[in-house]
Amino acid sequence: MANLKDIQRQIKSVSNTQKTTRAMKLVSTAKLRRAEELAKRSRLYAAKMNQVIAEIAGRIKCNKIGGIDNRCFTKIENPKMVDIVFVTADKGLCGGFNIQTIKAVKKLIAGYKEQNVKVRLRGIGKKGIEFFKYNEVELFDTAVNLSSKPDKSKSDDFIITSIEDYKDGKIDALHLVYNGYKNIITQELHVNKVLPVDTEQFECVEQEHSILEIEAQDEEHMLDSLVNKYVEYNMYYALIDSVAAEHSARMQAMDTATNNAKEMVKTLKVQYNKARQAAITTELIEIISGVESMK
Amino acid sequence: MDKLKLEILTPNGEIFNDEVISVVLPGEEGEFGVLAHHASLTTLLEAGVIDIEKVDKSVESILINWGVVQVDEKKVIVLVEGAVAIRGDSESSIADALEDAKKLIRDIADSNPAIASVSVRIESAAKKLL
Repeated sequence: MANLKDIQRQIKSVSNTQKTTRAMKLVSTAKLRRAEELAKRSRLYAAKMNQVIAEIAGRIKCNKIGGIDNRCFTKIENPKMVDIVFVTADKGLCGGFNIQTIKAVKKLIAGYKEQNVKVRLRGIGKKGIEFFKYNEVELFDTAVNLSSKPDKSKSDDFIITSIEDYKDGKIDALHLVYNGYKNIITQELHVNKVLPVDTEQFECVEQEHSILEIEAQDEEHMLDSLVNKYVEYNMYYALIDSVAAEHSARMQAMDTATNNAKEMVKTLKVQYNKARQAAITTELIEIISGVESMK
Repeated sequence: MDKLKLEILTPNGEIFNDEVISVVLPGEEGEFGVLAHHASLTTLLEAGVIDIEKVDKSVESILINWGVVQVDEKKVIVLVEGAVAIRGDSESSIADALEDAKKLIRDIADSNPAIASVSVRIESAAKKLL
């Protein structure tokens, strides 16, 4: 008989879990809609910003703008120290969302270790930070509550250290690793080399329309502030994109969890009914054999 | 008259995308106007007002705090960080826009002493609409 009660208790606990996971899924769905909207609106800006930078980088590479020697646009041979900034969620329960980013970061670090390059790790998001702390990987600095609530000025404050260190020559590259939103069921891992701006991919083609000129007299100043905005915006965009991806990942994970719970309740119910029938049969046998013995 | 395409983008989305006759931009080294067939250039913008002359000859003003502009012969793309368009259908919506604009001005005023003239211009642009 105790068995029956146990099963009943188990059924109750599983259906409670199911209720929680279903609620979490609904919350994520609602949050996702908002985050997705934000990411969608910013995507255009990010794309144009990258386009402007790309065009300038292309011009510099093809020597259309003479005599510019800006560190941000020059490929650095034999880097000594690189910055890796990663973005993970502050909360778990979202499937492989965080672990994917962590794996990518580990791979990147391993790659640099082989080349004897020092890595300075800067983390955003509790989950990633906890992981690297637990594994005793040194983190240069960290930020929590930024990945769950992206804030432009906080994200600027965070990334400016890397930009300045890059310009001062303390670091030789800046990588941004985050899990971005692709569509409602897929996330896309981004490992972006933000600095130096990659000029490799541009081919020097003669363009037909008039030649692009940079207006400001001190081109260096203009490039400087443009690069700052470019990196800052990339950082911010990574955060918004990551939030959208986090919610979509959580929504999926919670959906699967709800389904699993449903299955489990079903099997438990079968077990419960079997046990109940067994108990009834035993009781009947007892009564019948009692009656038999009285004859 | 030839027209040019103007796009103004902020991190929160597009606030202007249409054909216009001319546009006056607050460049770092002074204001400059752009008409169709302008030579290509890329430059930075500082806090100020973008004046747009639309196809129907009406003028729209947009306040910005920082930006970069890319001009070529056919189109002008302006990327700004914060922007408030002074426009609206009713008096109250224009007043709201003006309030937003003033807030933006206050935010940038700390870092830019030359901002006083901008706030006067914003007020006059709003008055024209009212």
